[in-house]
Amino acid sequence: MAKKSPLPTPAEARAASEHAIVVSDARYVYPNGKVVALNGVSVTVDHGELLGIIGQNGSGKTTLTKLLNGLLQPSSGTVVVNGIETTGRTVQEMSAHIGYVFQNPNHQLFARTVQAELEFGPTNIGIEGEELAERVARAVEFFGLKDVIDEHPYRVSFPIRKLVGIASIVTMEPSILILDEPSTGQDHQTTSIINNLMRKLAEQGTTVVCVSHDMPLLADVVERVIVMKDAQIIADASPREVFADKPLMARTNLQAPQITEIALQTVVPLGGPIALTPAELADDLGARLSSKG
Amino acid sequence: MQGALPVSLIPGDSVLHRVHPLPKMIWVVLYVVVAFMTQNIIVLYGMAVLALLLGVIGGVVKPLLKAAFIIVPIGSSLLALQLMAPAVEQPWTQIAQLGPITLYEDGLYYGLVLLGRIVACLLMALVVVMTTHPSDLFTTLAKLKVPYTLNFMMAMTLQLIPVFQREVGIILSAQKSRGMKGNGFQAVLPSFVPVFVGAIERVQQLSISLESRGFGSAGHKTSYRQVRGKASDWFLALLAIGVAALLGTVSILRGGWNISGLLVVEPATAVTVWVVSATVFLGIIALALILSFRKS
Repeated sequence: MAKKSPLPTPAEARAASEHAIVVSDARYVYPNGKVVALNGVSVTVDHGELLGIIGQNGSGKTTLTKLLNGLLQPSSGTVVVNGIETTGRTVQEMSAHIGYVFQNPNHQLFARTVQAELEFGPTNIGIEGEELAERVARAVEFFGLKDVIDEHPYRVSFPIRKLVGIASIVTMEPSILILDEPSTGQDHQTTSIINNLMRKLAEQGTTVVCVSHDMPLLADVVERVIVMKDAQIIADASPREVFADKPLMARTNLQAPQITEIALQTVVPLGGPIALTPAELADDLGARLSSKG
Repeated sequence: MQGALPVSLIPGDSVLHRVHPLPKMIWVVLYVVVAFMTQNIIVLYGMAVLALLLGVIGGVVKPLLKAAFIIVPIGSSLLALQLMAPAVEQPWTQIAQLGPITLYEDGLYYGLVLLGRIVACLLMALVVVMTTHPSDLFTTLAKLKVPYTLNFMMAMTLQLIPVFQREVGIILSAQKSRGMKGNGFQAVLPSFVPVFVGAIERVQQLSISLESRGFGSAGHKTSYRQVRGKASDWFLALLAIGVAALLGTVSILRGGWNISGLLVVEPATAVTVWVVSATVFLGIIALALILSFRKS
């Protein structure tokens, strides 16, 4: 097999590519040949977009994201990330372009200190010296890890460990970031840090793909939701459209955020908005109460 | 996990899967006993072929050969070293000289005996593990009055192997996603620290969970799974005991049943075996080193 040419830098690749992710008719069959995990999936994601992927367990969400960073290669179809077709590329090559935060931080933490953990990813992709120190410092500041920087990652609480896991990928500064169930096992404080992270990264132009069962999180943060069922994408719309679609929610055994359910049963029939957050519903209710004097 | 050694139950419904675990355990014990009583390489390699045939009957020959691949580095190093320094009493019979290296006829035969023992016992043990549900094994051992804690530890070990293999796969994926090279010694620390930590955490949680579900309580313990043997299962066990007793007796009567005197080994054969085994062994080490230090 002819050796593939070296990849452009993430910045060059991003500048040269029209879309962040282009998946065309991708199919993935597990090596045993019995399980079709993805069946003819096509999706295009723009640079800087905040995308949520939802679906029942086994619907193909994780398989799709693993195709994106090269952990799996499509059985047929193509996956192009930052203009780079992933087929034939190693995960290590793609890691500078696309970061993948695993659900369980225990699967990726090994170093003796949080500091060393944050440095591991960037050093693997050739970042050193001042730039490395700056990246680590920025992550420490943003995630509030100053007090645990010299601690062993396994000596800190699980929510903080999860933040260390996310920070260890963020320091690689990929132009696309995949978060697999980022809010699982998190308290309110760390969940809000993750919310802010996703928004901030998107503002900076990073494409964020979030796989989650946490509907309030997605309703609050993402701009677009993909719904998967039986290895296919069955809906692709804004969170407002997706969560208001009761037949879709019923068909996929998913539940819209409670606040949206309440809005659908109260203010929506009266011409009010499909609220995604408590603030939206409160605003509408407040306006109605004040208009009644 | 893709590429993992399949050292666990391979689900199936073959004749071998349906055999009661006790006769299968008896086969393994008898294999070990006979293998260490005899020095007859025909018997030893015959036992290995029989285990392979059982693997074919059980429909597990592919994973069996995959798992048995571990014999290659062990076997090649064994043969190469035995040819140079046999693990038998001197005097040794010199068969060839390769520069400063002297090869001995006794070493070739004894190396084949040692390799045959490993191959036969390993294949048989793997066939039994791959065709027996750990819970059935647990139930059987419980009926044999094996101490509950010891029995549980054995069954849990077998059940945790595939869990840890899957864990290793996920961890390697996570580290590769962080740009780590996935091969060689450089991958050891980033991969195995999470595996060990995960294993320790899992064991801690498991022990608490077991205690909270009355694991240490006294009294009679029942089993959800019921294992019943058929007449054919006990016939197979008795047949195995009979054959093993025969082979064992002949081996004792013939002082180990060493048939090296019947074999004529040409110097060229000994040299070929040594060159091939040493090359394979050193090749595996070289490959491991290259993968470790190769730039990604």
